[in-house]
Amino acid sequence: MSNVLAEGYNAFETNKSPSGRVKYLSDPPSVMALIRSGRLGEHILLVRGGTTTFLAPALSMGAIGVITMSGAPESHLGILSREFQTPCVMTAWLLSSSSRYVPGETDDSHFDEIVKALDGVEVSLDCSDSLVGRVIAL
Amino acid sequence: MTVSAHGAEYLKRYEDGDEGVRFQPLVYTGNFADLEPIPDGILGDRLMRQRMKTKVMEKVSEEDVLKDQFTLDELNDLNNYLAWNIWDVLVMRATEGVSGMIPRQEYEILAFMQEFYRYPEFMMLMTDQVGAKGIMDIGASARTQMGTKINCVHDWCLGAVAFGMGRCGLLALEVIEPNDYVEESNTILKFMQRVLWGKRQDGYILNSQDRYRCTIHEQSVIDQAMSQVVDFEGGSPDHDTFTKFNATAELLAFFDHYDCRLGLGDTGPYILPDGRILIIRDLFVNEEVYHWSDICADLPHCYTLALVLDPTKMGLQEIRVNDISTTFTQPKNYIPAIIGGAIFVREKWDTPMGEVYELPLSDTEPHLEKIREATVKMYDKTLRMSKRILCTNGIYSYYIDMILPYLRATGLYDEVCAKYNFWEIDQRVSNYYYEITKRNFVQVTVPQKIFSGSGYLPFPEGTDLRRSKYSIL
Repeated sequence: MSNVLAEGYNAFETNKSPSGRVKYLSDPPSVMALIRSGRLGEHILLVRGGTTTFLAPALSMGAIGVITMSGAPESHLGILSREFQTPCVMTAWLLSSSSRYVPGETDDSHFDEIVKALDGVEVSLDCSDSLVGRVIAL
Repeated sequence: MTVSAHGAEYLKRYEDGDEGVRFQPLVYTGNFADLEPIPDGILGDRLMRQRMKTKVMEKVSEEDVLKDQFTLDELNDLNNYLAWNIWDVLVMRATEGVSGMIPRQEYEILAFMQEFYRYPEFMMLMTDQVGAKGIMDIGASARTQMGTKINCVHDWCLGAVAFGMGRCGLLALEVIEPNDYVEESNTILKFMQRVLWGKRQDGYILNSQDRYRCTIHEQSVIDQAMSQVVDFEGGSPDHDTFTKFNATAELLAFFDHYDCRLGLGDTGPYILPDGRILIIRDLFVNEEVYHWSDICADLPHCYTLALVLDPTKMGLQEIRVNDISTTFTQPKNYIPAIIGGAIFVREKWDTPMGEVYELPLSDTEPHLEKIREATVKMYDKTLRMSKRILCTNGIYSYYIDMILPYLRATGLYDEVCAKYNFWEIDQRVSNYYYEITKRNFVQVTVPQKIFSGSGYLPFPEGTDLRRSKYSIL
C-alpha cells in the first residue's frame, strides 16, 4: 500500500471503501453549505473533533466517509459512524510526518499539517482491518 | 429462526476465571502507583476488586444497602473502583477533542462540580420523601419498563459523575481538600447504591462487576419486545430500514442531550433460548424540560428498539453493555449481525407501559423524516447560540437530566424547581466558568485527572465521617 497517506483508528470493520475528494470542514456553516450544495456524496469529510454534533446533519443526510483528527471508536462520532455504517478513520496521522495527536497537548500546527496534506486530494478509505483505518491516495 | 450458540466464543466470557478481551491498549494506575497497572474489562474489574479493603464492591445485601452510613474504607473503595470504572468507559471517548460546535469540555466539568455541590440536598429530600427502601424501589421500577430514564447511565451518573468526577474536578481546581464534604459524599454514594442495587437485584451495583451484563428486565418486558420482532436478513430492505432508523434516532438522541450518552439506554445482552442475543435500546429523542427541545415537539419522548443479533454471524468474542448504557462488541461492527428488530414508542416520560405501542417497520418513514428535520433544525438553532448560552445549556443537559428521573419518580421535581432553585447555577460554579479556561485546566488537567484517573484522591485516614466543609481559606 505505497499510496497510503494517513492511518488512524478504524471506527468499525467494513468492506465498504468509499472514495471521493477530501473536504475539510472547519466550522458549522461549512457543514451546512456542503449539505445545501447537494454534493455531500462526492466528498470524504475531514474534521478535527470526534464528536457527533458538529457532523450531525452530514451523518443524517448520508455522508459516505469521514476522517477525524482526534477521537476513537468509543467516541460519539465513532459510535454513530458505526450505526450509520459510514466508514470512519479516527485520529488520523500522516505517514509522512512524525507529529501525533496527544489530547490536551497538541497545538494547531499538527492539525494544519494534516489539513494541508489531505484537503482536496482524491482518496479512498480502507476500513477492513479491525484496528487500523487507512486513507489511500487514488 | 435458530442459530447455534454452541461454541460461540463470547459465551466463554461468562465462565469463571475468564479474563475477557481487551478493548483498548491503555492501562490504569489511579491511586495505586506502587502496584501493577490495571487493564480494562473483565480482568480489570477482578484486579480492582482484589485491591479493595472492604466488601462494598462485592455482592451486598439489602440490609447493607439500607444502612445510612458507609465506613471511611468503604467510601475510599467506592472512590477507587469508580475511578477505574470511569477510566474504563471514558478514557478513549475523551480523546475526541474539541467539538467545533459546542463547548463540551467546559460544560462537562462545570456540570460535574455543580452536581457535587447541589445533589446532596435533593437526594436527602427524595430519601425523606419515600424512604431508603423507596429509593431502591425506584431503581427496581426500571425492571418492568421500556423508555425510562431510570437506567444504567443515569443511575451511574448519580455517583460516578456527581461524586467521582465532581469531587475530582473540585480537588483539581484546588477549591476543596480531600477531607472536605465527607458527609455529602456519603449521601450521594448511598443514593446511587440504593438505586443501582434496586435495579439489578443481584447484589451488585455496576455492570462491570457482572462481566458487563445489564440483564435487568423482567421476562414480561422481554416477551413484549420479542412478540413484535420481525426477522430479516442482513442487507434486506427491512434490515436497511431498521438500522437506518436506529442510527438516525440515536443521532438525535445524542444531539438533544448535547452530545451526551444520557440520550441512549441499552440493557442486555439477553441470551434468547434459540441462541440469538437481544439488546433493548431506548433512544430519548425529545426531553421536554429542555427549552431547545421545542424543535423535537412533534416527536415522542422515546423510541425503544429491540435489536436481535446473531453472535455466530459476526464471530462475537465479547459483548459489553457498559455502565453508561452503551453496547460495545468485539468485533466492533455488530450492525450486519442484526437479524431481527422491533420499534416501540413511549409518547411521554410518564406514559403508562400499557400505552407503549409498536411502530411497524413499514410505518417508520414519516418518523424518520421528522427526526431528520429536527436534527437539521437543532443544528441550525445551535450554531446561532453564543458560547455562554451553549455552556449553560450543556450544564443543564448534565446537571438537570442526571437527577431528573428520580425527582420525577419521587414527585419532587416541581418542588425543587419552586423552592430550591433547581435550575440555578451555583455562584461558585458560575465563577469557575472563568477559572477553567486558565492554565489549561480544561484542555490538560481535566483529561489527566478525571479521565485518566489520577485525581481521585482518597479521604485521608482518620477523617470524621460527619465532616462537611467548614472554611474557605
